[in-house]
Amino acid sequence: MRNDNENMAARILESRRAISDAAPRREADKVEEEGGCGVTGFACSIPVAGRHIHAPSVQMHNRGNGKGGGIAAVGLSPDQLGVTREVLDTHYLLLVAALDPACVESLENKYIRPNFDIASEGTIDSIADWRDMPSLLVQPPQVRRYFVRVKPSVLDAFAVSNNLGSLERDRIEDEFVYQNSYRINTEYYAALGEKQAFVLSHGKNMMILKIVGYAEEAVEYYKLDDFKAHVWIAHQRYPTRGRVWHPAGAHPFIGMHEALVHNGDFANYYSVSEYLKQRNIRPLFLTDTEVSALEFDLLNRVYRYPLEYIIESLAPTTESDFDLLPPEKQKIYRRIQAAQIHGSPDGPWFFIIARNLLDGNGFQLLGITDTAMLRPQVFAIHDGEVKIGLVCSEKQAIDATLRSLASEDSRVCPVADRYWNARGGSSEDGGSFSFTLTGDPASAQSMKLVCRDKFGKEVAPPAGKKRLDISLPVGSENGDGMTTEFIREKLLAGDPEALSAAMMERMPRCNYDAVRSFAELVAEHSRLSDSARSAAIETLTTLNDLRYPTGSKMRSSVLQVVQVALDSVFKAVPPITGSGASRHRLIEFETRDALRAPSAGEDTLVINAAGFQPELEDRDSKIIIDAFRLGWRKFIVFNSTGQRFHGVGLGPDTTGVRIDCYGNVGDYLGSGMDGLEIRVHGDAQDQLCQIAKSGKLAVFGSVGQTFMYGAKGSEAYIMGNAAGRPLINAVGKPRVVINGTCLDYLAESFMAGDPLNGGGFAIVNGLEFDDDGRLRPLPRPYPGGNLFSLASGGAIYLRDPHSVTSSEQLNGGVFWKFTEADWALILPYLRENERLFGISIERDLLTVDGVLKSPLEVYRKVGAVNVKKLVAATGGVE
Amino acid sequence: MSMTIDNEIAAAPATREIKTAPSRFRNQIGAYKIFRSENCIGCGKCASLCPHGVHERFGDSGKMVRPRDYRCRGENCRSEEYFCINKCPVGALALRRNPVYSTLGDYRWTADLILSTWDQAENGHITNETLESEFGASGGGFDKLRFRFPAVPSGVDPSEVDTSLELNRRSDDPAAHKIKIDVPWYGGGMSFGSISDNMMVSRARAAAAWNTFTCTGEGGYPELLRPYDDHIITQIATGLFGVREETIQRVKIAEFKYAQGAKPGLGGHLLGDKNTADVARMREAVQGTALFSPFPFHSVYSIEDHKKHVDWIKAMNPRALISAKVAAPSDVDMVAVGCYYAGVHIVHVDGSYGGTGAAPDIAKKNIALPIEYAITRVHNFLADEGVRDEITLIASGGLRSAHDIAKAIALGADGVVIGTSDMVAVECIRCGNCESGRGCARGIASTDRELKNLIDVEYATQRLINLYNSYREQLVGIISRLGLRSVAELRGRTDLLMHLDYSKPE
Repeated sequence: MRNDNENMAARILESRRAISDAAPRREADKVEEEGGCGVTGFACSIPVAGRHIHAPSVQMHNRGNGKGGGIAAVGLSPDQLGVTREVLDTHYLLLVAALDPACVESLENKYIRPNFDIASEGTIDSIADWRDMPSLLVQPPQVRRYFVRVKPSVLDAFAVSNNLGSLERDRIEDEFVYQNSYRINTEYYAALGEKQAFVLSHGKNMMILKIVGYAEEAVEYYKLDDFKAHVWIAHQRYPTRGRVWHPAGAHPFIGMHEALVHNGDFANYYSVSEYLKQRNIRPLFLTDTEVSALEFDLLNRVYRYPLEYIIESLAPTTESDFDLLPPEKQKIYRRIQAAQIHGSPDGPWFFIIARNLLDGNGFQLLGITDTAMLRPQVFAIHDGEVKIGLVCSEKQAIDATLRSLASEDSRVCPVADRYWNARGGSSEDGGSFSFTLTGDPASAQSMKLVCRDKFGKEVAPPAGKKRLDISLPVGSENGDGMTTEFIREKLLAGDPEALSAAMMERMPRCNYDAVRSFAELVAEHSRLSDSARSAAIETLTTLNDLRYPTGSKMRSSVLQVVQVALDSVFKAVPPITGSGASRHRLIEFETRDALRAPSAGEDTLVINAAGFQPELEDRDSKIIIDAFRLGWRKFIVFNSTGQRFHGVGLGPDTTGVRIDCYGNVGDYLGSGMDGLEIRVHGDAQDQLCQIAKSGKLAVFGSVGQTFMYGAKGSEAYIMGNAAGRPLINAVGKPRVVINGTCLDYLAESFMAGDPLNGGGFAIVNGLEFDDDGRLRPLPRPYPGGNLFSLASGGAIYLRDPHSVTSSEQLNGGVFWKFTEADWALILPYLRENERLFGISIERDLLTVDGVLKSPLEVYRKVGAVNVKKLVAATGGVE
Repeated sequence: MSMTIDNEIAAAPATREIKTAPSRFRNQIGAYKIFRSENCIGCGKCASLCPHGVHERFGDSGKMVRPRDYRCRGENCRSEEYFCINKCPVGALALRRNPVYSTLGDYRWTADLILSTWDQAENGHITNETLESEFGASGGGFDKLRFRFPAVPSGVDPSEVDTSLELNRRSDDPAAHKIKIDVPWYGGGMSFGSISDNMMVSRARAAAAWNTFTCTGEGGYPELLRPYDDHIITQIATGLFGVREETIQRVKIAEFKYAQGAKPGLGGHLLGDKNTADVARMREAVQGTALFSPFPFHSVYSIEDHKKHVDWIKAMNPRALISAKVAAPSDVDMVAVGCYYAGVHIVHVDGSYGGTGAAPDIAKKNIALPIEYAITRVHNFLADEGVRDEITLIASGGLRSAHDIAKAIALGADGVVIGTSDMVAVECIRCGNCESGRGCARGIASTDRELKNLIDVEYATQRLINLYNSYREQLVGIISRLGLRSVAELRGRTDLLMHLDYSKPE
């Protein structure tokens, strides 16, 4: 069997010699230079309309430049394509982009009509005049669509002439279609002369459309707003060349039955291309994304690797993670790595793949990150009657997708049930997650969605929880609700602690109606007075921020209720343009020019971020700077959808400034902060607090990549995880508590002096919240392979009572004895951590397996090799 | 901050006035040695003959001062009436090549180029025409390029030549500063740590006098530079050392250092020895520990990250011009276009010839494109893209003379950055040991408290001012001889250049 497979792979590749020889010889130079991009995708148990890929695409405009966008849809509906279910399932859906429509006839006569039985053909509908979309600078190609099968006689001849007869018939047919498309692309696209046409996609039950513009413009131009599919992916491209006149270089790219989008840039494009050329695969579009798709197809369809081995080929398991694999896996992986390392993409990359698994195996959405996790990536899952799996460059794009879906379907909650990052090349999840939809797409039943990591381990949504349908009216069955009088009294008395505590106490046993009526009452009564409003904000914020048991209710649904209430409280704040006295003033995009100095008694500026740009002049974070100069010191920003740079640009001397952020705050928050305090009520994104000098940050969630890169100081408290490279190159005295863990490269090149002598440190508690809001230790407090690499100062305090972390995970650092002096140093920070997040020092941190331990038994210290000696020699740091 | 510089001197503005700024060493190195034997009768004839001031009589004492032989033109004088060796009545004088001359410099920075730079820095003009001041002996690069000067005088009056350069050419960013510098060059990044505060202040004062800029490098922004904020480029490099919001807000230009032409793909490494108490304070690190700058920006792994990075600086300082300093890999053209689309005002391409002794030998000159190739490539690519006049292209990496500057501009750069020339002006001998031990034996590339005081701020400022004057004089001469009236007119005029190997002189 093995030999058969090897032989067949060799024969398939040999059969491509002719097409490879016919392909133009070019220097193995990328003509398309790009790195960046925004990628997004989701898989849904019911078919959903193309307009829902619109919102996340729009929100990631600043990850592209409008010079290349594309979408792919997998798992389509036959009726909207005018074919039967049988044709949709069994026929190849060939889409040809005609850059020059005059070439269509000759192309069809040469490559389509002689080779295929055509069940249906047509031109994809588009808006009548492309100039009606003023943002388009180039006319999108006319797209011809054919549902085809290879003519039996043609297929027979192909099989015989290439000695492929013993291969399964459908595999021979796949190969024929693949080679036929390759010939089309060679003749009409890659050959010298005018570029006339290229194949957009040829897989079954899937299609790709690309445009010189933004991704969502492909949806708009080709009128896919109402077009339904189970899986959607989109890509915003950022080609660095300005003049792009056709979208062939845009993503997604095809293999066979899959569409691949990519964020990143291979450092070894040449090597990977050579690897492919040796297998008679010659790239025609000269981008690393095309190469990625070709490679995936090679491993999947020619070598028939299972998905796990494909992922291992692309993102090999290395370092301490390799050591942690079971021996039999090590044996196989070693072989895979030896065979495939030259084709393994090096450098930053992140793939999202949508594919048709065929033969009733369903549809799949897949995200794979590189071993070093150099590109941002977030996965999420949404459970309930409608099940959704999502993967994006940014969490804000996930939330935008869910908001878009929720706006039309009340079974969808705008908050996902889980959000997480993959750890590239790791022994835990392998840096990849797939969402697979199975079941009969033809039946009225929705499909089943399962999320698995590289190793097949399932990521299940919280069990035994019920989703709220927020469109239903609030019932009178309040369960264990609170009386209106109690709520009113506590709000007027300014006692939010009592209110939130009472609600959290009831939460495990009360029903949704009780939560909803509570939230609505709090919101309603917030209008009674300034102090009631402050108390209402604090009450709802606590319920939004903290973790607590929610009984049979989904936490995401509870958050939905709380966030709706908070939103209404904020929106009811007296506008900046209005009269009457109030501590709070609301400013919105429409009223931004009315910004003025605070009048007597005013102290908090509430900013509705909706409508503001993510960067440059019209960004909401600019309002904060202007307002600060006018004398405002307290800010609440809500409704954020990825806007950036909050807390940036205020300069030094900002002690006393406080910024509270709600919604999806964007990148670079607090980068440069010097004195101010920022609270993020939820997850934060990438590049937080770069070069931060002083001040305080609290994040009631997780933070993204390169948190506190080059920081000089300040305190930070993170309730969840920090993704890759936190505290890299930090100096001075940053002091950080991370209650979760981080993906890898924590405190690389940390140079923060001697912590016991005024330097900096990071505490990693290695905890996570379970689905009932209880803390539990992670299997490994720090799973990465590079802790404190090349660091010359500072320390990591690791909660590691079972000494799971090994010195192999350090790269230049050493374990120092954790002493009473260390405990005295970190204790005040853990107290503040307790105050902020309710993570108790005694109950949660020092209790191990039910037994209260001494801190010296619980914490470990990682420091630089020679810091003591140096400190002794120089008398320490200031 | 415990600086030994007198704050008043540091803050006192300097002018462009040329004042002679002689060597700070007793024995300045020259091309020749004059030996005066004991036969000398002190008649003073040689002093009255020599037009270059080599000989001087010590008052009426009848004694001669030791010959200032670094001024000596040696064999070039042999045919002159005043050739002192032949005219000495008692034959007491002897002339030899200075053996140090033959060991000085290298093919790129020849002994002549070094000595000529010293001459210009001392006098504000070229006074010693016998030294080759235009090119080196590398056998390639700028050394193979020559201008095609018209045979007949152009008639352009040198005083009409405009050497100014507008740094913000973007029409889509009206909020950003408009900055015109008077000469088409500014000083490259040298960090506190790699050089001393004395040197940094001197560079800043000279930059202010010539209404141009100097760059902090990545080691922080010493407070002593505050009076020169308007002439400082603050650098944001991969280690982010000393980068603070406040320092970004106080300047008019912020420079991202993505890479250095001398060592693209490599990070920085300040060895523990050079991380002195002062350096550590500035970088907020621990004295004596090695300091690393990673090779990439860890927050920038792609073009959209780069745009975000630029937007971040604009969020802190909306009026600042953003410069992106990049090395010259083979796709530098696309990098430059990407910089334009990310909102950068200045793309600064650093070629492979530059760099101090601190760059590893294996990297120097071996990785990136030579700058003369990179300039035309980027210039043409930007032009094809239709954005050439929206961005300022600055070239650096081994520009050693006014002629190099002119050649870089003729190849397509708007202006240049100079680094090593600044060091040579204050008598760097290019020994290449910048990174070892306490640092530079001449007190330039060192923050050692004793060594750095070998450099006096007034001296160094004046030497730089003088050199810049000489550069400008020569540049004006070149431009007017070519029949042009401005630096801007010279840009991209490759037709005015010839390559010794490939072009036929007309």
